[in-house]
Amino acid sequence: MLKFTRNKLATVYRKDGRTLAVHGVLEDDIYGFEVDLDIGLFNLEILAIRGKWNRMENSECPRAIPFLQEAVGFRMNEEDFTRKVQKIVGRKACRHFADLILECCQTAKDAATMILQEEGQEKPPDIEIDELFGKSKPAISVQEKNHPPGPEVTGGMVIDLHVHSLPASPCSTISVEQLIEQAKEIGLDGICLTDHNHLWAPNQVEDLRQKHDFLILRGNEITTEQGDILVFGLEEEVKGVIKLEALREKVLQAGGFMIVAHPFRGFLTFGVGYLGLTKEKAMARPVFKWVDAVEVLNSKVSEEENSFAAQVAAGLGLPVTGGSDAHGPGEVGNYATRFPGLIQNEQDLIKALKKGGYSPVTFRNK
Amino acid sequence: MADILCFSRNRCTSIEHVDDQTIRSTCRVQDNLMDAYVEIMVKLPDLELIQAKGEIRRSPQGTDLIILDDLQKVAGSRVGPGIRKIIGSIVEHVPYAESVATLLDECCNGVILSFARDVFLNAPQDKAGEKLFFANMVKANPRLYNSCAALTPDSPLMESLELDKN
Ligand SMILES: [Zn+2]
Ligand SMILES: [Zn+2]
Repeated sequence: MLKFTRNKLATVYRKDGRTLAVHGVLEDDIYGFEVDLDIGLFNLEILAIRGKWNRMENSECPRAIPFLQEAVGFRMNEEDFTRKVQKIVGRKACRHFADLILECCQTAKDAATMILQEEGQEKPPDIEIDELFGKSKPAISVQEKNHPPGPEVTGGMVIDLHVHSLPASPCSTISVEQLIEQAKEIGLDGICLTDHNHLWAPNQVEDLRQKHDFLILRGNEITTEQGDILVFGLEEEVKGVIKLEALREKVLQAGGFMIVAHPFRGFLTFGVGYLGLTKEKAMARPVFKWVDAVEVLNSKVSEEENSFAAQVAAGLGLPVTGGSDAHGPGEVGNYATRFPGLIQNEQDLIKALKKGGYSPVTFRNK
Repeated sequence: MADILCFSRNRCTSIEHVDDQTIRSTCRVQDNLMDAYVEIMVKLPDLELIQAKGEIRRSPQGTDLIILDDLQKVAGSRVGPGIRKIIGSIVEHVPYAESVATLLDECCNGVILSFARDVFLNAPQDKAGEKLFFANMVKANPRLYNSCAALTPDSPLMESLELDKN
């Protein structure tokens, strides 16, 4: 049974010697809309954009139209062009419009290449944007200092085990400095930097600790074919997507700890049972065989997705943790993990994680 | 002078629910340079990718058929928010990697949209009902809040959500 179709059409003609006119149409079961773009033939810059809805999801979708202008001035040669369109046009306007704009731009780029080749014209050199930050250096082992515990550690320590900072996580919008300040402000005892596939240099983090007089630990959120895994105690930069089994081997060798992050993110968007996912079926997912604990409080997923994760973890007898998964201001500490004992450095954290007895907590808005 | 097209691209994605456990999603692109398709099979309830295949029938290199065997490596992963990055790593050594990744991505996106369609099919038509429907949807899925122009804090659709918060 045909359940859904999406058709996209992007056409290009030459408006003048330097400008391509691109028309895009998207028609699917839910949405119907069009865009017209003027794009520079040589610099691949979006010079003008107009859009119009034909069919939409709800009565407020027209609010998206003025924000399409945000794309004017974007150039396709810029390294983060796609991300910018998704992040700015996608969020301020509508992600389906962003999708069609990207389709049109990709088409225009191919058209421009073809035209310039056919005409034997040299493309003016693009100004490459320097990478925002270089590859992080291999870790230099720095003797970890024990830091005096924060003022209120009698009831154990509350640490946000899952936060993302810019530029280490390009998807984040908050700097590490801001993150730390906000974490201190709301009274957390520490945070663990878990930037995506990014290994913080120990001395860099040590500097931050001393500067802010605050417990900052290092972790890493690593993408595997079975989803995202929070890894602690692995001094190795893992790039791209790694097989979960291979990651497990590395972490075991390093004596580290693995927590499956937001295991049901997106799976209950349409309600529990919509996809026919039951606790028993979920418990059988291979990912749970290869991790030490399950993140059951994450502020980027729905309450249902969190509580389902908690049920599955309980069914499997796996320890549970909480973390905000902060990617922007005002998010750090939404959720965290309370540890019964004192944690002063990364060795303490790993020992505590292995020992158990900790619990996920709602922190910021408690 | 007539504005004769110099380039045209058609992309068609279709999603079939083969049976109550299996979904087939196909994306085909045709333009001046390329004719290619990717097909995936996805199993409920985990939206686990069980099969992925594809072909490039025509490309700037010519009309020799390129069979995209490597796509099968995606099997075992699940269609969901993290799939884009996984696709990126799988197509790394595939010819026309970017185009193939887009095809695979469209297939996955279509699977999600096929479920969204059912949800919006039941959205009420009247203003009050619509407000309640979207407020509830955002309450159940907080990541949707402020995720587009219609769901910003000052959107009429979010009015009742504000009331709940106070
Ligand atoms: Zn992220
Ligand atoms: Zn994360």
